[in-house]
Amino acid sequence: MLILMMSLMTLTAEGDMQTQLLPVANDPVVSIRIWFKVGSMNDPAGKEGLANLTAALLSEGSTQKNGYAQILEKLYPLAAGYSCDASMEMTVFKGQAHVDAFEEYYPLFKEALLFPAFKQDDLDRLKSEALNYLENSLRYSSDEELGKAVLLQEMYKGTGYAHPIAGTIESLKSINLIDIKTFYQTWFTQENMVIGMAGGYKPEWVDVLKKDLKAMPSGKPAQAKAPVPAAYQGFPVTLIEKDTASTAISMGFPLDVLRGEKDWYALAIANSWLGEHRNSSSHLYNVIREKRGLNYGDYSYIEYYPNGGRRTKPPQNVGRHNQLFEIWIRPVPNEARHFALRAALREFDHLVDHGMTQEDFDLTRSFLKKYVLHYAPTSDERLAYQLDDRFYGLDHAHLETFRKMMDSLTLADVNAAIKKHWHKGNFRIAVITKDAASFKQALVENTPSPITYPTPKPQEILDEDKQIEVYPIPVKAEDVHIIPVNELFISTKR
Amino acid sequence: MLLTLALLLLSDKPMPIFPYAYQEHTLDNGLRVILIPMESPGLVSYHTVVRTGSRDEVEPGKTGFAHFFEHMMFRGTEKYPGPVYDGLMTQMGIDANAYTTDDRTVYHLDFTAEDLEKVIELESDRFQNLSYKEADFQTEAGAVYGEYRKSITSPFSVLFESVSNLAYDKHTYKHTTIGFEEDIKAMPQQFEYSKGFFKRFYRPDNCVIVVTGDFKPEQTLSWIKQYYGGWQKGYQAPQVVPEPEQTAERRGEVQFNGKTLPILYMGYKTPAFNPRDKASVATFALGELFFGSNSDLYKDIYLEKQWVNFVSYDASQNRDPGLFSIYSMVKDPANIEKVQAAIDAAVKSAQDQPVTSVKLDGVKKRIKYGLLMDMNTPGEVAESLDTPLAVEPSIKGFEAFFSTLQQLEPADLQAAAKAFFQTQRRTVVVLKGAQ
Repeated sequence: MLILMMSLMTLTAEGDMQTQLLPVANDPVVSIRIWFKVGSMNDPAGKEGLANLTAALLSEGSTQKNGYAQILEKLYPLAAGYSCDASMEMTVFKGQAHVDAFEEYYPLFKEALLFPAFKQDDLDRLKSEALNYLENSLRYSSDEELGKAVLLQEMYKGTGYAHPIAGTIESLKSINLIDIKTFYQTWFTQENMVIGMAGGYKPEWVDVLKKDLKAMPSGKPAQAKAPVPAAYQGFPVTLIEKDTASTAISMGFPLDVLRGEKDWYALAIANSWLGEHRNSSSHLYNVIREKRGLNYGDYSYIEYYPNGGRRTKPPQNVGRHNQLFEIWIRPVPNEARHFALRAALREFDHLVDHGMTQEDFDLTRSFLKKYVLHYAPTSDERLAYQLDDRFYGLDHAHLETFRKMMDSLTLADVNAAIKKHWHKGNFRIAVITKDAASFKQALVENTPSPITYPTPKPQEILDEDKQIEVYPIPVKAEDVHIIPVNELFISTKR
Repeated sequence: MLLTLALLLLSDKPMPIFPYAYQEHTLDNGLRVILIPMESPGLVSYHTVVRTGSRDEVEPGKTGFAHFFEHMMFRGTEKYPGPVYDGLMTQMGIDANAYTTDDRTVYHLDFTAEDLEKVIELESDRFQNLSYKEADFQTEAGAVYGEYRKSITSPFSVLFESVSNLAYDKHTYKHTTIGFEEDIKAMPQQFEYSKGFFKRFYRPDNCVIVVTGDFKPEQTLSWIKQYYGGWQKGYQAPQVVPEPEQTAERRGEVQFNGKTLPILYMGYKTPAFNPRDKASVATFALGELFFGSNSDLYKDIYLEKQWVNFVSYDASQNRDPGLFSIYSMVKDPANIEKVQAAIDAAVKSAQDQPVTSVKLDGVKKRIKYGLLMDMNTPGEVAESLDTPLAVEPSIKGFEAFFSTLQQLEPADLQAAAKAFFQTQRRTVVVLKGAQ
């Protein structure tokens, strides 16, 4: 009777045209999501950013019938729109309209997907925005997002996951209309898509949509396997030199578990306890922020979680077949950077060594069983989850499995999964900081990193600090690389 | 039910009502309670709107305190100390958070219906009996400084800090909600002040509770009366100094310590937001028609000439005179003056000639559809009320806005543009990045 249970899901596969339907009576909104099995992973070498730019031209460009200005004019009174988001392995063209406005809206949606004009001035505009994102915003506007981008770049170096979805500065400049058209013809095909519709739509609208989309390009593109990051030992560290008063840290390692597997749900419990995203129940948050006031928050992840600073719930339709475990330490004062890094790794190591306690296990699974109900409150979001279920090849809905697993998993399951999949001493670390050379020296020499507080602290905190400030992180000099911020994202051949 | 109301709203009749049935109650202690049952199996959203924000930080050296205090509200009470409170919230899988703006502080929780009574008890307890140690207070100040540090790496934070400071002389809108850095640094010393802050502002007669979702109104009201009934009224309104009338244009330039394309900001002082005043509501329609994504300006400088990465606007809904803001990221610094000239031309156009009825109807239609599409979950419904409730603690204010909007004529927009878009009411700031 809870909201997840009322999802009436239908699943069809007619020939090569796959459909995912989620009718919700009385829902005033109609949502469409067309998932194409392509992403930045499929960007050709030297053309990184092509999937993202193609997606942008589809949703923010002219069609053969209307210029983009005319499209905006027609969409405007309907309060409706569409967008196309490319992730690493998934690209979703999606739109929403009020049920009463849908028939007026739908032709615009259809034309954008089927009859894009791919005009040079649209390309120039959107390319310039993507370049500004790489040259300025990503490098200089949010050290947190920058840290995550650098971690991915280093973790997946030489693979299709390494470059930002927006591309690189040099590759973006090289992309032309022929590249865009070829990419669209190759990847945005009827055999390479899943049609999703949700909300208060009329059944006949599905038939119209399916019929219309038969005019999409045809072809079965060869799917590449998800990248496997290069093996490494120890603590490779990438320090980004930037004039900043605070230090942002992201670190992690590849994770060989995907949703749908029992161990994924076991790790979800351990991860929630260690670092539930944007939640004061996070243990890392408790140690670094709540007790010591060093920053705004500290979290951990078992799935790719882009734009964490702007969302409180997991994103949808960013599925990946290779995942990573990640710890995110929000900016700390530069003088506390070494201490914060040690504090986080020490907590992680302690969890791996000792496992969860029965009390923490019981509390966390109780939390998650209800908390996941907030993951997809709208029919559009539930549809997105259903598409993700397909992406991961799940027979049962992930969110329902999630809740059931909270009842069936045991503490032993969780602690066994931690032992099996989480390992100490193997983190890639990305740091945005000032005076990177001195941090390198401190890391390599394992220099003690005592911190001082502006106000008194309880003795138990000060005693624990004594252990944290000397907690060993065996970093080798040859594993530390310093990159000036203005040298990032220029090309994949750094 | 939803569909019926939707059809009613989309008819050509004047915008009638809020799209759900609701109840409004005022307890003896002045606490206002709005109950909005809606179809949302098993889920409830619970917002407490405290009508206090950075606007109320009238004492020198206390900027950012309303936001800081929001953090302290999670530190527990004698009955439910911080760790116990956190444990209960975790046990119930509650999605809980809070935020602070110029005019309000909002505490919002989404949870399952079976936990409603416990949530009411816990919320009523912390609003009446908040209790924290000085050491915890001081530690939390560090987290707030961390929040400032992570935000200030954005050029927009730097820009808005500068705009507020330049546009206002006396009024507390001179500082942004997070406050001046020097005041944030000094927060650990404000323990005693914080107790007074709680006593003055966290009173039932300064708060509105909104409950939306799957619940029984009678039972819920009874619980709220039971748990909040003993809360003593006693709100002490701060003496916010009015901003003197601006008599000359203000211009400034601010440097961002990082690379960014220049951002041009132009803000016009507008009166305190009044949902019943045509001129006040007209600013929203003006924004849509002259500076929004369907405006001639947008098509000219963003789509055709491609001088800018975006152009956008923000109409004020503040309790006191605010700013109608237009901002744009300019690709080539050499074009900043041209972009300003294009914005000036759009302003002049708004003043010189009335818009067509067709265009104005398009705005009305968009806002109606937008309202219906954005109010489908308990969280969305409660959230849509946060801003209007800070201005007027009743859904009547929300309804009045839409009612006034429907009555607008092209001449109303022109009159508002002439009244508000005057050079002497304007503040212009250009943010530039490092080379």
